[in-house]
Amino acid sequence: MTDTSPKRTIANTPPGWFDNVRRRYFPTPIQSVISILGLGLLGWILWTLLNWAVFSAVWDGQASPETCRAAAGACWTVIAQRWRIILFGLYPFDQQWRSALACVVVVAMVVLSCVPAFWAGRRLAAVWVLGTGLFYLLMKGGLLGLPLIGEEKWGGLALTLFIFVATCLIGFPLSIVLALLRRSELPVISKGIGLFIDAVRSLPLLSILFAFAVVVPFMLPGWLQTGKLYRVICGAALFFAAYQAEIIRGGMQGVALGQDEAAKSLGIGYWHRISRIILPQAMRNALPATINQFVISFKETSLVIVVGFFEILASGNAAYGTGDWTFAYREVYAFIALIYFVFVFSLSRYGAYLERRMAVGTF
Amino acid sequence: MSSGTYGLLAAAALALSGSAAWAANGDTLKAVQERGNLLCTGHDGSYLGFAEVDDKGEWQGIDIELCRAVATAIFGDPTKLTIIPISWAQRWPALQSGEVDMVIKASGATLSRDTELGLQFSLSYYLGTTKIMAHKELELTSLKDADGGTVCIPAGTTQQQQIASYGAKLGITLEPVIIEKTEELEQAYFSGRCDLYTQWGPVLAIARAAKGNPDEHVILPDVLAVEPEVIVMRPGDDNWIDIANWTLSALWFAEQEGITSANVDEIKANPPSPDVAKFLGGSPGMGASLGLSDDWAYNVIKNVGNYAEIFDRTLGADSPYKMDREMTALWNNGGVLYPYVID
Repeated sequence: MTDTSPKRTIANTPPGWFDNVRRRYFPTPIQSVISILGLGLLGWILWTLLNWAVFSAVWDGQASPETCRAAAGACWTVIAQRWRIILFGLYPFDQQWRSALACVVVVAMVVLSCVPAFWAGRRLAAVWVLGTGLFYLLMKGGLLGLPLIGEEKWGGLALTLFIFVATCLIGFPLSIVLALLRRSELPVISKGIGLFIDAVRSLPLLSILFAFAVVVPFMLPGWLQTGKLYRVICGAALFFAAYQAEIIRGGMQGVALGQDEAAKSLGIGYWHRISRIILPQAMRNALPATINQFVISFKETSLVIVVGFFEILASGNAAYGTGDWTFAYREVYAFIALIYFVFVFSLSRYGAYLERRMAVGTF
Repeated sequence: MSSGTYGLLAAAALALSGSAAWAANGDTLKAVQERGNLLCTGHDGSYLGFAEVDDKGEWQGIDIELCRAVATAIFGDPTKLTIIPISWAQRWPALQSGEVDMVIKASGATLSRDTELGLQFSLSYYLGTTKIMAHKELELTSLKDADGGTVCIPAGTTQQQQIASYGAKLGITLEPVIIEKTEELEQAYFSGRCDLYTQWGPVLAIARAAKGNPDEHVILPDVLAVEPEVIVMRPGDDNWIDIANWTLSALWFAEQEGITSANVDEIKANPPSPDVAKFLGGSPGMGASLGLSDDWAYNVIKNVGNYAEIFDRTLGADSPYKMDREMTALWNNGGVLYPYVID
């Protein structure tokens, strides 16, 4: 018998990019029109942006403010002239290498503690204690022939990084303690800590910072008085810890109850159960939310501007805030946005790497 | 100036601690001398012409120069000064807790600051007026011609009430456009969304000089309100107030007598009159009763300059803002400033 049915062939080759594009974006005339309009709009926005930022922009670092203002595009001269203020704030001009070196130390410290080879309690602690000490020595001085420079002169990127790192350094261990206390079997402690966490979370960070900077000095006895910077960092760390504790608690709830019970029945002690069984798994569960919390905290450092710190946004305001450059605030803000982007994007890419790495071995 | 919600919090902090708890009551001069530097106010960013940061990260501006003058009066050295950057809302708590020794931060003398907060004021070193800028093409000569126009107003400031009551007085109606952030507000005016822009005088003049094309805008002669800017200090230290007042007075006296940082040595060598000789420390009596050296005023003029020099450098002819002295001139130039008498 001969086969009379029409021959059917199944295309085994995947469709080419041209077919793909046609099928996805131009299936019907109406959708084609929408696609073309969308593409046109996107192209126009991109072109306008590029034209402003690159083609019509003034790239000459020595251009006068007048020629710069007359130009159609961005005036990058302001960055060339005032970048030191954005990065270092009010730090004395001839000592700014110290501030730059301190930034490098912080970045190196964070990068080192991201490398798996350093993931051992002692090594991490050594890196952080040494790094923070070196940062402080470089910024503050007063030793080894470095002139003393008070915190009121710290500023720019170095201050933003310091506040972020110190907040995490204090806030992260505190958050673990809070999360464990919240799971305590004593109701007084678990309820009390729960109330504390909820109280901190129901206050805006702005008012916590303001209270720590302005109100707290009137309540503390004299011997407890510290610099405003450290009070503000404490406030930010408390806020960070309250949120992070809930994230870790969520991670702990994702660890099957049976594991803890099995460990108990094997006679493993509390600290061992927590540090070797519960926390590692809880951390893995909580990782995406934790990275999120770090990113948010980095961006929230800009709020310290309300209590008069020269972090990077305030420094930016000071950078364009002079008679010659008042018109160039867009360029300064674009530059600051770029700095934020570099830091936050690396943070979130690192988080993605960690998630991939930690997924190995599960399921 | 604007302070918003956090001003309330700051006031609450003050109330909480009670007016009896003025932490650093007592001899401020002695505390400053023991510390070895004067703590004075800066800004959390830049406040054009009053407190801004130059290319080297140094504070400049008229408020900063006055801090420098006081530091020089005490130590004979303008570098013995630490500028603490603080926000508007933080001014009074910072003063109360001793974080700063005096507030020189474009702060007006008001009833509530004087009586409820219990602050002490110096003489007024600057008269800030609330004024109105208009696009020149509208050909306005005063606000009276602007009936029905739109006006850009900074949100949450006294200017809102001032323009409303001034407009009512003239019998005209204005359409308000209220915007919080200064950059957006000025963008709105310069892009033509508003016909008029009302603001504290120096900010307005600086906006005209530095942000737009100065020839396309006029500042109308109407004065909506006057705010005397003063140095603000803690209560209970009369000598400290005297030092602030006499430092200001010395700047004006030097201007009145034509003593500048350039010719002060010459004049000290050949003083034209006994009061000038005493002023520059050639004969005793200028400093002892204040707790300062007799040549403190000489040091101030030599290192910082007289009031005209300070003004020209920061707001006037030698600055990018090119502002006129207007009311903030000396009495012999039609202004309202005058030195105390040196006897």
